[in-house]
Amino acid sequence: MNDRRRVNGPPGGTRPPVYASLLETGTGAGDRSQRQRQPAELRKICMHDDNLSAPAYQTNLWHFRTSVLKTGLIPSASGSSYLEFEPSASLTAARANPKSLIPPSSALKLACTVHGPKPLPRSAAFSPNLVLTTHVKYAPFAARKRKGHVRDSSERDLGVHLETALRGAIIAERWPKSGLDITITILEAEDDRWWGDAPDSHDASWGMMNVLAGCISAASAAIADAHIDCLDLVAGGVAALVSNDSTNSSSSAPRLMLDADPAEHRSIVSACVVAYMPARDEITELWLKGDSSKASLAAGDQRTGHEALIDGAVDAARGAYTVLAEAVRESLQRAFDQS
Amino acid sequence: MSNQRQASSASQTPHLSPAELSYLYTSLSLPRAPIRPDGRSPTQFRPLSAESNILPGTNGSARIGFADGTQAIVGVKAEVERTNLATDTLASQSDVNDSEEHQGSAAVSGHGSWVQMSIEIPGFRDDDALPVFLSEMMRESLVGSVTEGSGKADAADAAEMAGGLKGRLVINKRWHWRLYIDVLLLSQPLSYPLPLLSLTTHLALLSTKLPKLKSQGEEDPFFDDDWAVAEYLYPRISSQKTKLPSQYVRPPVTLLVISVGENVIFDPNREEIAVADAVLAISLTRDSEAGSLKLLSIRTIDPPSRLTQPAVPNSENVNMLGAPAPTEDIAVLNPVTGEEEVPGVWRPRRGGIKRSVIANMVQTVLKKGGVGEDVLEGLEGVEVE
Repeated sequence: MNDRRRVNGPPGGTRPPVYASLLETGTGAGDRSQRQRQPAELRKICMHDDNLSAPAYQTNLWHFRTSVLKTGLIPSASGSSYLEFEPSASLTAARANPKSLIPPSSALKLACTVHGPKPLPRSAAFSPNLVLTTHVKYAPFAARKRKGHVRDSSERDLGVHLETALRGAIIAERWPKSGLDITITILEAEDDRWWGDAPDSHDASWGMMNVLAGCISAASAAIADAHIDCLDLVAGGVAALVSNDSTNSSSSAPRLMLDADPAEHRSIVSACVVAYMPARDEITELWLKGDSSKASLAAGDQRTGHEALIDGAVDAARGAYTVLAEAVRESLQRAFDQS
Repeated sequence: MSNQRQASSASQTPHLSPAELSYLYTSLSLPRAPIRPDGRSPTQFRPLSAESNILPGTNGSARIGFADGTQAIVGVKAEVERTNLATDTLASQSDVNDSEEHQGSAAVSGHGSWVQMSIEIPGFRDDDALPVFLSEMMRESLVGSVTEGSGKADAADAAEMAGGLKGRLVINKRWHWRLYIDVLLLSQPLSYPLPLLSLTTHLALLSTKLPKLKSQGEEDPFFDDDWAVAEYLYPRISSQKTKLPSQYVRPPVTLLVISVGENVIFDPNREEIAVADAVLAISLTRDSEAGSLKLLSIRTIDPPSRLTQPAVPNSENVNMLGAPAPTEDIAVLNPVTGEEEVPGVWRPRRGGIKRSVIANMVQTVLKKGGVGEDVLEGLEGVEVE
């Protein structure tokens, strides 16, 4: 009779060791990764398709490289998509030549499935419109700190944001008495700050905003993959006001960055996510938080901080839209090939 | 019930007929002079009765009741807790030479998780989307209201409120206050409960007192047991002879703003929000330096008008076949939404908000002498004794 008792893991989780030699600056492993992109340059999302020729993207305004937005990966769902952001330069370097067990930053990876439209259960009340349910869940291993299996409040919050973003785009009255379930699993989440930083006065869940933007784009691609009528593809975009330097943080005003990776900046002062429909120039979801009053804009710029932030997020969403449109085109192509 | 839960962010699906919705929309979207069902002006709030310090067992409490019978009670409790210096951060170990500067910056500037908020709404489970969304919305503006930089204090006396609320919760490097804000909605939510809950929370925080600290520096905290000398969490201006603008930090307040047509309307009731083109929750507080208002957060809320039932114009109605086509039954382009609509025939809203509309709504809230200042002044006037 073998021993069937369950041996539980340590309750508090374990962490990789950090050696003192790694923390000396200059070795590279203990340094904060630096942003290599221009302020208005986005991280790349791209079609992962070997048949497509690369130059189409390289000539684009947003210099895309190989990361992934791919639709139709999950055959049992009526629509699905997988989205992956390009890892930052330091993360790529750290993966190729690891100096520390701790990765310097993380890159967003998420999978989205769409089930439906399907009839509502008998017990549900009559609805003249399509009933949308969104479900966002971090995988337990998605962040540096383990997430539980039960959705916590931040995940529920993300679900509500996503629902707002999508409901404005879906033409819901074409499916009365039907339901649509959108499930997003986040496989790797963005960090809220660099892992070596203690939380400071600006700490907030900034990574969540990047995750939301990714969720919106991926869900939009999956809905298009499920052939559900929409007004337009909704693309998610993030812009942030970051103050970078440590020496004289009070003298320099925060600057506007599109698609900011929180791990690359000392502190993020304010950030904004939008879900944007370029064809109608409309925002279906807006989430702005933080103090945007002290932004340093270009001379002669009359906009207030929050307006600049929203405009920046819209620009970022426009960039994501180009990839989104390409992914949907590929999804349609596949549907034609199969029929 | 299940329908209500699914339409969580929109609070409730309105139970109005398309004809009623269309009538409401038309009267609310009259250019520059909307007619609201209860006769208020666009920026006017519903009459309310407010009192604070009603619960002796709490550090601060408040009750607000709207005239329609909805009431909310907020209790604020504070507990002393040991600060768990994060061992996974490098801040305390890495920079040996400037360790004074960086040592445990969490212990100096506070941490957002020290403020906990729970909202209870009858008819909703506490993990339903609406209570979670509301509490996240109010908490994020509360812990996000940082005055300046990373707790950079010019004068020693300004250090008190340097990190906003989070900084105020720090006792010393090893101890801090944990704040529990419990919001209780006593009645069924007749309208979207955000303005009520936010105003009540603001009032409760204004009346919150923490016992006076007797220990100094890094000692284990030890408090004066005389409640009469307890200090306000947010220092009151009236109690001090000199005005200290640098300390003039106030809790944030979240306003619910809707746009209907070209009009911006505040504190919508249930019927008004049912026809809104766009619903925004805008959090603001007083900027301690500029003396004006400062935007803390904006969130869109899913307008319930997207869930309504559409009406059918006579020209498309099968029952009206053969009847002479009415002349007014011609679709025109609504300039605000960009949709083709037959006047007087309700269509559920589609699409999003234009950026100019958002800018207009924020501007109405923040401008000098605008609604935001009115609300903050009114709340300040509630007697806290």
